[in-house]
Amino acid sequence: MPHEESPEHRDLVIQMARLGDLVQTLPAIEALQEASPERRLDVLCAAPLTGVLAAVRDIGRVIPWDGAQWRTWATRWQENPAATLQVMRHYLASLGDTTYEQVYPLNQHARSHLMTQLFLRHSSHEQEQDRIEARMRPWAQHLRQVARERGANRVHLADAWCGMCGVRPRGQAPFCVPPAVELPEDLAGIGEHHGRWVALVTGAGESDRCVTPAVWSQWICEFLAQTQDGQVVLIGSGTEREAAQAILDSLPTLLHGRIWDGTGRTNISQLMRVLHKCHWVIGADTGPLHLGTLVGTRALGWYFSRARLHETGPYGEGHWVYQHATQAQPQRWPILESIALMCGDQGRSGTDWTLWRSRMDRWGAYFDDGSGNATVESSRAEIWRACAPALCETMAA
Amino acid sequence: MNILHDNLTRLASRHQDLAAAVKYAVGGTLTIEPSRSGVPSARRSGRWIHSAYDPLREAQTWADTHAASCRPGEMVVVAGVGLLYHVEALRRKLAPDVSLAVLIPNLDEFHDALAARSLEAWSESILWLPGAPAEIAETLTKIGRPIRCLSYTPATLADAEFHRAVEDALRQGIARQTGGQLTIALVGPIYGGSLPITGYVKRALETLGHKVQWIDHSVHAASYEAMGSLKDQRNRQMMQGRMAEVMSQWTLASLAESPPDLVLSMAQAPMTLQVLEHLRKKKFLTAMWFVENYRHLTYWQQLAPGYEFWFVFQQGACLDAFRQAGARQVNYLPMAADPDLHCPMSLSEEDRRRFGSDVSFVGAGYANRRRLFPSLLHQPWSFKLWGNEWDGAEELRSVLQLDGARIDTATCMKVFNATAINLNVHSTTGAGLDPQADFVNPRTFELAACGAFQLVDHRSQLRQFFTEQQMVSFQDFGEVPGLVQQWLNEPAARQAMANAARAHVLSEHTYVHRMRDLLGHIGLSQPDRVGSVLRGERQQEALVKRCADDRPLESLLKDCPSGQRIELKDVAARIRSKGPTATLKREELMVLMLDEYRSETRDLL
Repeated sequence: MPHEESPEHRDLVIQMARLGDLVQTLPAIEALQEASPERRLDVLCAAPLTGVLAAVRDIGRVIPWDGAQWRTWATRWQENPAATLQVMRHYLASLGDTTYEQVYPLNQHARSHLMTQLFLRHSSHEQEQDRIEARMRPWAQHLRQVARERGANRVHLADAWCGMCGVRPRGQAPFCVPPAVELPEDLAGIGEHHGRWVALVTGAGESDRCVTPAVWSQWICEFLAQTQDGQVVLIGSGTEREAAQAILDSLPTLLHGRIWDGTGRTNISQLMRVLHKCHWVIGADTGPLHLGTLVGTRALGWYFSRARLHETGPYGEGHWVYQHATQAQPQRWPILESIALMCGDQGRSGTDWTLWRSRMDRWGAYFDDGSGNATVESSRAEIWRACAPALCETMAA
Repeated sequence: MNILHDNLTRLASRHQDLAAAVKYAVGGTLTIEPSRSGVPSARRSGRWIHSAYDPLREAQTWADTHAASCRPGEMVVVAGVGLLYHVEALRRKLAPDVSLAVLIPNLDEFHDALAARSLEAWSESILWLPGAPAEIAETLTKIGRPIRCLSYTPATLADAEFHRAVEDALRQGIARQTGGQLTIALVGPIYGGSLPITGYVKRALETLGHKVQWIDHSVHAASYEAMGSLKDQRNRQMMQGRMAEVMSQWTLASLAESPPDLVLSMAQAPMTLQVLEHLRKKKFLTAMWFVENYRHLTYWQQLAPGYEFWFVFQQGACLDAFRQAGARQVNYLPMAADPDLHCPMSLSEEDRRRFGSDVSFVGAGYANRRRLFPSLLHQPWSFKLWGNEWDGAEELRSVLQLDGARIDTATCMKVFNATAINLNVHSTTGAGLDPQADFVNPRTFELAACGAFQLVDHRSQLRQFFTEQQMVSFQDFGEVPGLVQQWLNEPAARQAMANAARAHVLSEHTYVHRMRDLLGHIGLSQPDRVGSVLRGERQQEALVKRCADDRPLESLLKDCPSGQRIELKDVAARIRSKGPTATLKREELMVLMLDEYRSETRDLL
């Protein structure tokens, strides 16, 4: 019988958000592991995303949270409350012993709060609730203010989550080798021969963050025209198959041999593998873009609408982001500029777009547009001092 | 012969009378022929009832499709006998706690089935239901299980009338159940004839004990009308179209505040197909009572697939047209009266003088009325014309009241009550009486409910509602002057006829009756949703009773007020009322979590 560790030595991180947020929670997970290597750290995330964490080392257990199932139960409750409650009990029991001494809820919604109460060890309930509250409140207020005022914040969300967990960023980006899963036969050739391989993220979680198929078609045309060895892999879920098809339909058939349509064809592990085989991943602020950074692929983001690189830019050293000047839908896109950047030319900003490069320091990730970063560092330090004074004292010591 | 004998012996063990009756039935209704797969198939009146290739496979597909919707504890009633392949497949597919009954409209057909195929053990748990529709419905109602009706269509066509009668009887049974309170969002029009009807419907539903949220778009009527003043037709249509879209979204926002059991739209409710599809995705149950002549207003063609249920006041071709346009379920629901408003009144002398006359007509100036009414002038009796849209009808100016102003319901009731003979002529755009007279307008029921005497143009449905002793009709407008003269001379007979019509409306044709019927249809179709509420299964007492073994749940439910319907959100609200710092039990946290997922329906926009 495997020995089950007692709740005193087990902690839990709760991250219920989408793919990109889960990837950007990894800095906090690694920082927690580094701070308390003797404790087992489990992570609870949305069931379809557990594949991401399966590839990450040293996570104790990944608890899949099946939101779709809960939605079904919510509908069934009216028909038979007793049976529904019983099924829910069985579900929770099937997750095994899920009581924890410390819980780190990273989502600011009621469900996350309820999960914290469900998974927190009963005896440490009140005390730990107070600790969580004290640790999280300043950061939660800060994030709310950023969301509301969209000011000059320069603390990355991934680093704010470190703060919420009561640890400082490690100063280096997480990296993992994707699991050795098989790809569908027709995608197995991706990255297998010489060339400049680019994964292109066709969609986005929200429609206002989507780059239209017409723009992507133009980008692919230019890229393939300028690079004799260029190859493009279309990335996306099943819902993006139509967009991918629209892109393919609008391109000359002569180019089709250099385009690989992977939309709706891969699970998370396979997607990680595809991304790993590419040199670049380009797209809007989306989950696959961040997943690419995790497997060591260089990211180039087009950030527009409500996406802001300082909060959710690709985490790590050496990624690039074109940030649009306003929140309005862009009229022009940095097509030639981004291709030039990928082809090794000097990076340059485009009309209405500013080019930023990601960097890391002791406060975590930040972005640099080449205009100097002394004030940037002091503003981030100031936020850290305000939100986590005790942590800053230990850092100084 | 052996197969029949064995089957009858098996049947007799639980249905002795039926077995005896089948034994003496002559059979010969089905023509049995071998299918390509070797097992017998059958035709009835030349039409295949089962596949000529593989009846077993066909039955399996049918059972797979329908079994998914059947819930534990239900009584599934199958219409369609044939060779019972589909019944066998369904029985094998269903869990043991789902009961199965089969309607038997024709003993000869059943005899043929028993002679053609050997019934095995599966048949022993089937409840076979021969007899009259009302008796069958009573038997099923007495069993007390939620009823779900399934139809194996190829085998029902020859006995469509019987199956319709059983369904009507079952529906009436459900309509009589008043155990629970539904929450119903009633979406009204911006303006028009269906606006007052929306009010009547609201009152009727409330009378039946349901909670109604009227999403009242008439508050926007002034703006909508103002846009109508735009001279450029394209601009006008675009602006009014956009406003209708905004109102449709407003409906969504209102529904999000408190998701109802049923969204009931009245004709002309500003709901777009896109919004209806969105509601469907979010599992909202939607219905529309289309209280319009489907030939005149045709926007239903675009909306037909959007609503789960359509109710229309025309039959025959109308029902077919809706089905062809993509409507999932269309049912006939005629107009009615609201006796709270449409009632006899004691009028002052002044009111009698002002609103009364020998003959009157209330309504808008449609083309046919403009052509017909001049023949009512210069008669020995008085004639008054009330209502709007009579511009240009110069001949009728002398009898037009209030200068052709639109009159409100209160005035209308005074006119009905003060008039000796109320004329009721259905509108049409042609010159004479409506040539496609296949519905009865609300005015017919309203006048009757007022105890007011009326002469109505004849309608094909009229005698379904009123006998010749209750209402006088005319086939040709030329008959009207003579009828007026005749009935003016017989005040006592007039009054007796009006009283009889009123009594009949009160007993069968009020909006309360109609809403009972409407909910009966929906309840029968949705036994686990609306049906369950109507049966009272969501009342606190019923819930407590059903969870007696689950102490934590029982305690949560007992905290809720008795005598009321309790939903998940009510239990969650009770728990939340303990305050943010309360230490909650595991079950309480689970209920709150569930409620968080439930409230995702609020994310409608």
